[in-house]
Amino acid sequence: MTHVYLDKLTKVYPGANEAAVSDFSLDIPDGELVAFLGPSGCGKTTTLKMIAGLIRPTRGRITFDGEDVIAIPAEKRGAVMVFQNYLLFPYMSVGDNVGFGLKMRGVDKRTIRQKVQEMLELVKLPDISDRRPNQLSGGQQQRVALARALITEPRVLLLDEPLSNLDAHLRDEMRELIVSIQRQLKVTTVFVTHDQEEAVLLADKIALMFEGVLQQFASPDEFYQRPISERAARFFGGVNFIDANRNGNKVETSVGNFVFNAKNSDNAPEGDSVLTIRPEQIAIGHDVPNGENVVTGRVRSRIYVGTYTRYKIAIDDCEIEAIRSADLPGEINEGDEINVHFPSDRIWFVPRNSN
Amino acid sequence: MTFWERWRIPIMLAPTMAIVIILFGGALYYGFLQSLGWQPRIGNTELSLDAYNNILFAGPQTEQFWRGLVLTLWVSFASTFLSAVLAIGSALLLRQTFVGKRVATFLFQFNLPIPHVVAAIGILFLFSQSGLISRGLAQIGVIGAPNQFPIVVRDSLGIGIILSFVWKEAPFLGVIVLAVLQSLGEDYEDLARSLGANRWQRFRYVILPLILPGLLSGSVIVFAFTFGSFEVPAILGVRFPRMLSVTTDRFFRDPDLNSRTEGMAISMIIAVIVLVLVFVYQWLSRRAIRQE
Ligand SMILES: Nc1ncnc2c1ncn2[C@@H]1O[C@H](COP(=O)(O)OP(=O)(O)OP(=O)(O)O)[C@@H](O)[C@H]1O
Ligand SMILES: [Mg+2]
Repeated sequence: MTHVYLDKLTKVYPGANEAAVSDFSLDIPDGELVAFLGPSGCGKTTTLKMIAGLIRPTRGRITFDGEDVIAIPAEKRGAVMVFQNYLLFPYMSVGDNVGFGLKMRGVDKRTIRQKVQEMLELVKLPDISDRRPNQLSGGQQQRVALARALITEPRVLLLDEPLSNLDAHLRDEMRELIVSIQRQLKVTTVFVTHDQEEAVLLADKIALMFEGVLQQFASPDEFYQRPISERAARFFGGVNFIDANRNGNKVETSVGNFVFNAKNSDNAPEGDSVLTIRPEQIAIGHDVPNGENVVTGRVRSRIYVGTYTRYKIAIDDCEIEAIRSADLPGEINEGDEINVHFPSDRIWFVPRNSN
Repeated sequence: MTFWERWRIPIMLAPTMAIVIILFGGALYYGFLQSLGWQPRIGNTELSLDAYNNILFAGPQTEQFWRGLVLTLWVSFASTFLSAVLAIGSALLLRQTFVGKRVATFLFQFNLPIPHVVAAIGILFLFSQSGLISRGLAQIGVIGAPNQFPIVVRDSLGIGIILSFVWKEAPFLGVIVLAVLQSLGEDYEDLARSLGANRWQRFRYVILPLILPGLLSGSVIVFAFTFGSFEVPAILGVRFPRMLSVTTDRFFRDPDLNSRTEGMAISMIIAVIVLVLVFVYQWLSRRAIRQE
């Protein structure tokens, strides 16, 4: 259990024009599971390797429980990485793989054997100690890799896209296992992913990064309710963006005037800005009463997606998307004119021209 | 599966296999017959194990053979081992990023296409008592006269031969090791590092086992080659003991055609020894890896 603090961490690779990671500052509380989320090439692995001590930062500081660890080499830092492609040592049995970290520390063989067994039980693979890595499925290999990392009781566990090589249902299972083990051991964990849904499902907090720059560090629901930019909102599936001008709780837009009173509204930009709202938070239908924040629109198209239906609705020159649960009463058809309600505590604002 | 699908690969391999079987198998068969005394051209058609007996136990060449065998084993093992060690060291250095990496890599591989004869002559020029190094050292007064330089070519320990083989074979193995290291990348080492392995442990428990399969195959080639190679010991060897390949050659060039039988017998013995050693070597090293 370690409180990890990153202070203006910057990495410029030799010969590169731009920093792979720049001024990345983050406070990871003791025992939390934090996801680094961002598109490919945004510097997630680079940041992880700097925490592990495998890459030396160009600038910046890393502390574990207040102690500066930059000068501590990776092998003594106690930040263990698990790689996307498992990297089990092919020439060792599963048991020897798991016990590797203890062997390096000179722990005696009996203790190692015992701890290996404990770890294999923890990852729910109690009987495979004598097998060879090439006799395991991808999911099993990833669990062995996890056991191998955990056996050293790391101060920080660093998981680099551990699920991306697994197929969908294994991924769910493995994700749940990781979360439950993390809750049980309370080891401070960083989980790297480019999959927004995965980050939301598993992390206490998400650090969203684009091009080496931290955009927003917040809990999953904040990314939905209060994204920091249009790009951040889009990354989390936001599709509705309407130019607006906000003045306190008065909002003018091309589709009508609205009232705004969300929680934590202080962080929302004022003046020229962009109104955003998630498709599932827009109320639509013939039965939506006229009133504050309600405008009329025309249904352009509807797509039935199982438990819900997705509508495209034109309001003046603007097109928005809304989602409605499939078992709500009242049918809405293409071409219908309907009321559209933007709840005042659900709309949010992001800066204009930000990307 | 059609006939063609089923037999495509065997049919396509057939010409190569035929050449291998006819050349290698035929030669082996004919050579074995000769070693038993089969020489119809000089009227010998009776088969016997006399030649083997002469060489191994009770002939004028028996001592030359046994001492030659010891020397040959020593030279092959030492050359292979030293080449492998140098190969690992230089591959580990060359894969790093440093100033002049391309030049260094070029120089490292530079002598791969140079014939062994040239390597041997080069060693002679450099290291003999009248060679560049001894004369240079004498000139600057490190040694009193060139002939005080230790005898390292045409010496009974085969040091010149070993030097010459190592000079040729270390880059060969080095290229193999470098290729393996580069294809593996550094993730395994990074992982081991974060699990607490220090530099030596990363070498011992990660790099070495990962490169060992490639290095072993290469070493087997080097070993078999040095064991049977002729031109380097012919140039850099002494009269006694002689490496087996050189002894064989003497037999073949003896005006007495009966010596051919002995020559063939030694060739057969070399072949068997190499096969057995290669087999044992592979078995031992596989086992060593597995125990880790
Ligand atoms: N060893 C290196 N030398 C030079 N540039 C590098 C090196 N490693 C990464 N980069 C560059 O740094 C940037 C960030 O790379 P990084 O691997 O951290 O991204 P990532 O977010 O992990 O991406 P992915 O999701 O594809 O794994 C990329 O532009 C990449 O090209
Ligand atoms: Mg990455």
